[in-house]
Amino acid sequence: MESVAAPRFSGVPGWLRGPLPILLSLPILALAQWATAQAPFLVYIASIVGVNVILAVSLNIVNGMTGQFSIGHAGFMAVGAYIAGKFSLETKDVYLPFMQSVAASDQLMFVFALLLGGAVAAVFGFLVGLPSLRLKGDYLAIVTLGFGEIIRVIVQNTEMFGRALGLSGIPQRSSIFMVMFWVFLTILAARRIASSAHGRSLLAIREDEIAAEAMGVNTTAYKVRAFVISAFFAGVAGGLFAHFVGIINPGSFTFVKSMEIVVMIVAGGLGSTTGSIVAAVFLTLLPEALRSIFTQLGGGDQTLAQRVDQIRMPIYGMLLVALMLLRPQGLFGTKEIWDVAPKWLSRRRKGMR
Amino acid sequence: MNLVPGEPLLHAKSVSIQFGGLRALTDFNLEIHKGDLKGLIGPNGAGKTTAFNVLTGVYRPTSGDVFVSGNRINGRKPHQINRLGVARTFQNIRLFKELTAIDNVKVACLSESYSVVRRETLDRLERGTSALWFTNALHALNNYVDWWRALLLTPGFLREEAEVTKKAEGLLETMGLLHRRDEEARNLPYGEQRRLEIARALATNPKVLLLDEPAAGMNTREKADLMVLIRELREKFSLGILVIEHDMKLVMGICEHITVLDHGETIAAGGPAEVRTNPKVIEAYLGESFAAAHAAAAGSGA
Repeated sequence: MESVAAPRFSGVPGWLRGPLPILLSLPILALAQWATAQAPFLVYIASIVGVNVILAVSLNIVNGMTGQFSIGHAGFMAVGAYIAGKFSLETKDVYLPFMQSVAASDQLMFVFALLLGGAVAAVFGFLVGLPSLRLKGDYLAIVTLGFGEIIRVIVQNTEMFGRALGLSGIPQRSSIFMVMFWVFLTILAARRIASSAHGRSLLAIREDEIAAEAMGVNTTAYKVRAFVISAFFAGVAGGLFAHFVGIINPGSFTFVKSMEIVVMIVAGGLGSTTGSIVAAVFLTLLPEALRSIFTQLGGGDQTLAQRVDQIRMPIYGMLLVALMLLRPQGLFGTKEIWDVAPKWLSRRRKGMR
Repeated sequence: MNLVPGEPLLHAKSVSIQFGGLRALTDFNLEIHKGDLKGLIGPNGAGKTTAFNVLTGVYRPTSGDVFVSGNRINGRKPHQINRLGVARTFQNIRLFKELTAIDNVKVACLSESYSVVRRETLDRLERGTSALWFTNALHALNNYVDWWRALLLTPGFLREEAEVTKKAEGLLETMGLLHRRDEEARNLPYGEQRRLEIARALATNPKVLLLDEPAAGMNTREKADLMVLIRELREKFSLGILVIEHDMKLVMGICEHITVLDHGETIAAGGPAEVRTNPKVIEAYLGESFAAAHAAAAGSGA
């Protein structure tokens, strides 16, 4: 699996290998931005998918790579969403003169809001990570679950965050460019961590904590670090979410949201970054796809479409049950898509003969 | 680390450990110098593995002290003790099963990266002051910067990764496992898993290597190879080695000094010949009646 910093870009000089993927991504993202300018629904769906991918990939750092079972990821997302949203609300009319234009100034403030949301979420990640020093398995899961609920209840009862009504009128500064850029950064970070000494330490903790400790891995510190990094990206995802829906309320960050993300990474294979991505995209689009399929089947008959719509979620559930029966280790297990794909191909080739 | 000449690498000074009312280890003494090859034997439940766990920081001794190169390590964490130069293997193999053989070794190589404060400086500080929080903060700073190096894929980071890979490959080659480089550890045959565990322990640059039943489950041929290997390792890496073993032939064959434990107490210590004829050892291993018969036979023979 994550063995060598793959020699895929071996022709590239060393100093360029770090920034190259980011430089390459920028024109592609700009193109995507330009191409989707006339399709607001597509942008909305893509943004939802993007946020879910960030959440899944970041949760996979804790649950998949480090082997700690956290089920309070929506809590970190809520922290990021509320902090970033509140910040943008308060500074709605601030204009940074050195940025030349209002739009550019807004975008810079947006980035700052995201980083702020991520940073505060990371602090919470540190606080939640601390109990993971003493707790394992189910017990840690309950603590993280409790954390997620505590955040939601606190927000629900705080005047500043609009109580149960939440925050509305958050400037909609998000764009497909910004969402996908953060998706890209999250994936890049996850992959680079996985192929570094730090990622190996996290994997070692997952595999055998006692042996990892005996081999010089500071297991307690690494578990907290995994939580911090994971929480940072969840916070950013929350910030992005707040800035494209414009309205957030505690109902968006319930236990159900946390479980949704856990389902994604389990379905994709715990420990597989690409698995998390595929599962997040698929499971986010699936309900939407089923909706449009049923609308087609109804032939425009809205009442039939609505009636069939009700069996959408059972279908979703049954697909998950089927996946768990057929592949209990998830789509890719702990491996990445490129580790698994050739095996499928070679097996099929053997079968052909 | 600059060592006072004659100071043992690993030194247990009248260590005792008690779990509730159970005295698992009583007044245990051990010195390991560079180039030593010592054995620790005893019947099941004698406290051998407990002794290992005290030496590597899994348990804190109830009384007595453990020193590594002159540093008192009571209450330090296993990973800190590992950094001081004590590496171990486990009785029931504890490899990182889903990682490849080379990744197993590379995990243990992690102590190489010191991006802000150099390792020698840290070692000196750790020896000099008792302010552990300060050195811990420096460790954390090193680590923080190192995360960014990994995320930004700096040239220095890439160079280090390449060095680590090379080092890990070298160790795999030493242990005759290079052909298994990219295989998952759980798919390796039993004997190779044992050897991979030793390779992983060596990757932490130890001065003392503790082997917990390295020959368990091996056949005669593998055991013979292992004996040769352990001797080679001692020379090649200039280690002090402590072996826990049940196989008397292996222990007597390679160890120059043997400590025998029974019910947590040291009942004998000395060279193989000396230990073999010690009546207490015979009694512990073979029972009282056999010991009496042995003594009678020895008496009539004389």
